[in-house]
Amino acid sequence: MTSAPASRRGIRTGEWAAWLVALALVTVVLVAFRARLNEAHYALAYLLLVQGASARGGRPLGVALAVGSFVCFDLFLLPPYGTLTIQNPLNWLALLAFLATSLLSAELLYRAQAERAAALEAAHRAKDQVLAAVSHDLRTPLTTIKALAHELATPDDDRAAVIEEEADRLTELVGQLLDLSRIASGAVVVNAQPNEAEDLLGAAAQRVAGRLDGRELRIAVTTDDVLSFGRFDFSQTLRALVNLIENAAKYSPAGAPIDVWAKRDGRWLVFVVGDRGPGIPAAERDRIFEPYYRRPGVAPDAGGAGLGLSIARGIAEAQGGTLDVGEREGGGSEFRLSVPAIAEAELRRS
Amino acid sequence: MAAPTGDVVLVIDDEPQIRRVVRNALAAGESRVLEASTGRAAIDLAAAERPALIVLDLGLPDMAGIDVCREIRAWSSAPIIVLSARHADAEKVALLDAGADDYITKPFSPSELDARIRAQLRRSRLAPAAGEGEVIVIGPLMIDPVKPSFKRDGVPIHLTKTEWELFRTLIKHAGRTLTHRQLFHAVWGNSSGDMQQYLRVHVRSLRRKIEADPVRPVLIVTEPGVGYRFDHE
Repeated sequence: MTSAPASRRGIRTGEWAAWLVALALVTVVLVAFRARLNEAHYALAYLLLVQGASARGGRPLGVALAVGSFVCFDLFLLPPYGTLTIQNPLNWLALLAFLATSLLSAELLYRAQAERAAALEAAHRAKDQVLAAVSHDLRTPLTTIKALAHELATPDDDRAAVIEEEADRLTELVGQLLDLSRIASGAVVVNAQPNEAEDLLGAAAQRVAGRLDGRELRIAVTTDDVLSFGRFDFSQTLRALVNLIENAAKYSPAGAPIDVWAKRDGRWLVFVVGDRGPGIPAAERDRIFEPYYRRPGVAPDAGGAGLGLSIARGIAEAQGGTLDVGEREGGGSEFRLSVPAIAEAELRRS
Repeated sequence: MAAPTGDVVLVIDDEPQIRRVVRNALAAGESRVLEASTGRAAIDLAAAERPALIVLDLGLPDMAGIDVCREIRAWSSAPIIVLSARHADAEKVALLDAGADDYITKPFSPSELDARIRAQLRRSRLAPAAGEGEVIVIGPLMIDPVKPSFKRDGVPIHLTKTEWELFRTLIKHAGRTLTHRQLFHAVWGNSSGDMQQYLRVHVRSLRRKIEADPVRPVLIVTEPGVGYRFDHE
């Protein structure tokens, strides 16, 4: 962190030097062709330089270049050369007009840029507010619908129960759409902390309990203390892992157990979800992470909107990790969610 | 069914429909339900009526829910259950740190709300005695926090000093989610260090000693991104 401001200062100094060199070069070229050029040519050449500097380097650089151009203009291009005095008094007028124009253009460019940045930030803020408002405004009526349906349910009429189930589905969908738009707009808040694999696997097992149509979830953990620590956002990673487990349940035969385990792979802590489903052809292995993608031959009522995997990948990538899929030994697929592991040396210090 | 006889429950929500849902969830019991639609009115009502429990919605028109929570907590120990449409970890942590006792995300089912309200009322009634000198028996486990001793099937199991501190803190607040920060302060005081990492290491070792299956813990429950809770009925 400490090196960032220093390197930025380095870039700034380099930028200023480059523009001053450009000013010198322009002046040298103009002086060389002094016999064939007039004041209009000089003024336009310098003006171009000043505008370039303002656009790239901001107001201070633009102003500095404007003043520098003014001095060079006077010293080297208006007779008598080499002094600040000027033979023809009318040239003073041209020179002052040049200075005013270049300062004005530096200022205008700066303002346009500042306005654009402000507009961009306002758009980001507005988007966040819309997301929060949509979330709140949809959830409040859903709460009422769900609760009233719950109250109306009777043992011999399942209509109220269906309303409640559908309200739950709608809630799930709203949540997924919000997640996806947060990921797509780069608004996922990732709070990466030292976390422990076993804790995450346990929380995932708790979250999917009763949602796997009777399939068994088998969890394997390493007993080695050191290997199981990583730096990741617990609840986001949990959401990604739960999506993977639910995906495995969706595509594996009834009754086939789902296996989940964690392992250390170089500088990564990898959570693996293995199923005994039909597997995924190599050509489709990237497409399944696209939103709304449905694999050919899969019934449209396989549940969900096809967003779980893209959300999981978005979460993995937002915290510097990866999510991919491969073949599993003995048949089926293996989804691998990798997050940065914590080095043993770093752990021992605590 | 619902909250037991005589308890006064204050519901703070600007949405009449949500107030109705909460009222209906409590209708089966004989608790008296008071309603407020703004933060200011709620604080005045809470001061005048001294409710046994408060249900607080965060989306109030006049003030931030967390400020209502903090203000009431300054002079009342009644459990506060928060209703929220968001489920950001940071918000949950801030609320628990501000004195809220539990947190429910919309949409919730009335039976879940009812269960949480009852659990909080039961806990607050027992609060003064809980964890103070009582021997606790959970299945094959016997815990004497004072001695201190811990036995599984009658066989004593050694807990380190840190594990005891952590265990005692969790037991003392059984049923309530403690944030990472609250746990760290209770166990380690003001010492510095990587709070998250210390806590994970010791929760894991404690689970290995007390849970029947440490990978599927049922006593020390993880509240993702927020903290841990000791659960036992």
